[in-house]
Amino acid sequence: MPIPLPSIDFEPAVVWRFLFNSVILEGAQRTLIVALVAQVLGVALGVVSALMRMSKNPLLSGPANFYVWFFRGTPLLIQLLFWYNGVPQLFNNPDVTRELTSFRVAIFGLAVNEGAYMTEIVRAGIESVEGGQMDAAKSLGMTYAMAMRRIILPQAFRVILPPTGNEFIAMLKNSSLAFAIGLVELSNAARSIYSVNYNVMELLVVASIWYLVMTTIFSLLQAELESRLSVGQRNRPPTLFGRMTEAFGTRETRVH
Amino acid sequence: MRSYEIGTMIRCEDVHKRFGRTEVLRGITCDIAKGEVVVVAGPSGSGKSTLLRCINHLERVDKGRIYVDGQPVGYRDVNGKFVEKSEREVARMRAAIGMVFQRFNLFPQLTALGNVIDAPIHVRKIGRSQAVEAGRAMLQKVGLGDKIDSYPGHLSGGQQQRVAIARALAMEPKVMLFDEPTSALDPELVGEVLEVMKSLARDGMTMIVVTHEMGFAREVADRVMLIDEGIIVEEGPPEEFFDNPSHDRTKLFLSKIL
Repeated sequence: MPIPLPSIDFEPAVVWRFLFNSVILEGAQRTLIVALVAQVLGVALGVVSALMRMSKNPLLSGPANFYVWFFRGTPLLIQLLFWYNGVPQLFNNPDVTRELTSFRVAIFGLAVNEGAYMTEIVRAGIESVEGGQMDAAKSLGMTYAMAMRRIILPQAFRVILPPTGNEFIAMLKNSSLAFAIGLVELSNAARSIYSVNYNVMELLVVASIWYLVMTTIFSLLQAELESRLSVGQRNRPPTLFGRMTEAFGTRETRVH
Repeated sequence: MRSYEIGTMIRCEDVHKRFGRTEVLRGITCDIAKGEVVVVAGPSGSGKSTLLRCINHLERVDKGRIYVDGQPVGYRDVNGKFVEKSEREVARMRAAIGMVFQRFNLFPQLTALGNVIDAPIHVRKIGRSQAVEAGRAMLQKVGLGDKIDSYPGHLSGGQQQRVAIARALAMEPKVMLFDEPTSALDPELVGEVLEVMKSLARDGMTMIVVTHEMGFAREVADRVMLIDEGIIVEEGPPEEFFDNPSHDRTKLFLSKIL
């Protein structure tokens, strides 16, 4: 007969006790900030890189193609280690190393990685806008840049938004890889506690609860934003705010 | 610069355009006077739309010159050589040439009024309140005073095309180019768009209209032109063009569409 492993019973009370533990809450906060900032920067990088990639000028499309090829083709973990451990080795300068905190490197590394994925999402979004829109904008005297900014991108964002929501939810979870460069984000916070008290299962549940809270809230926000962006379209879904106020009868139903 | 006839609004000189191996325009030469309404007819693929797109430089010409109101389109005369203008110069020139498309191409994220005032505010840099006032008047003029706040998705094809005409007019263009403006419309909606175009013609706008609406051509055009295989086959006043065409190709074309 196999010897039973020593075990500690799963104690729901421990989950409750650590759910609002300050180390956990700080970790969750750090996860949120890192993911949010990295996602915003990633979208900005993606827009720039997509426009470069779509350019006929090889001096613009070349670097953008390389960027996407490289950062989609290598593991995020290796990219983070590269920025955190590899780059300081190249500089070999304590001042540089001191500036490269795990927090900053995590945001930067995640953003650069995200930008490569966003490039393809933004490009698909721009290409989904009918070519006639650019013709119409140009015929009204707009330059390419103005037409992009005022006419094409606002339409592209409707297409870009759903996959970007996906990306952000993946980002919330992928940010846990930053534990490898010493960032005490949510999962690392949980790990740091269970490595002392051995309540492994309970703390993994605590971390999971917070991940689910964050992803749920952002899924709702995304649905709200999509609904607001679909202004002017037929079969526009009601906004969350609209549905809530409608339920309480405080606001007139929008008529289209 | 070449001498320029007073009263000419658009001049095409030996315009050639090819897409890959296909030569779509094979030497188009024509003058269009200020206030003239020219209807361009011809079988599909004959180069009519391409000619319009060359006139506002949405397409580059391969050979030949186009002038609008005395200015070479898309190119500048530098010591006798033609150099492509900067994007900004091309954009400024396009702002004075209105264009209406077969598929309307309204901006779906903007209301009817938003479509009409966007370029006046951001391209012509006129004040918002002034643009709104002018935009409302323009929509009124095309009979859509009650649809100012509607989005394109909630308008019929005929209404959308009328918004598109108002949008082009709001830039106060010298010329209006119509690229098959009624071809994408249900038959019962064609009339309302043609009515707007007729009133525009009466107001003295210089217009080039690519269309299959021969009734409109007969009634409104000063001149009808048949383009086939990239050249102007026949042109003349509508009575002559329809009742007494001199080319066999014109007769064949007319027998097919009338």
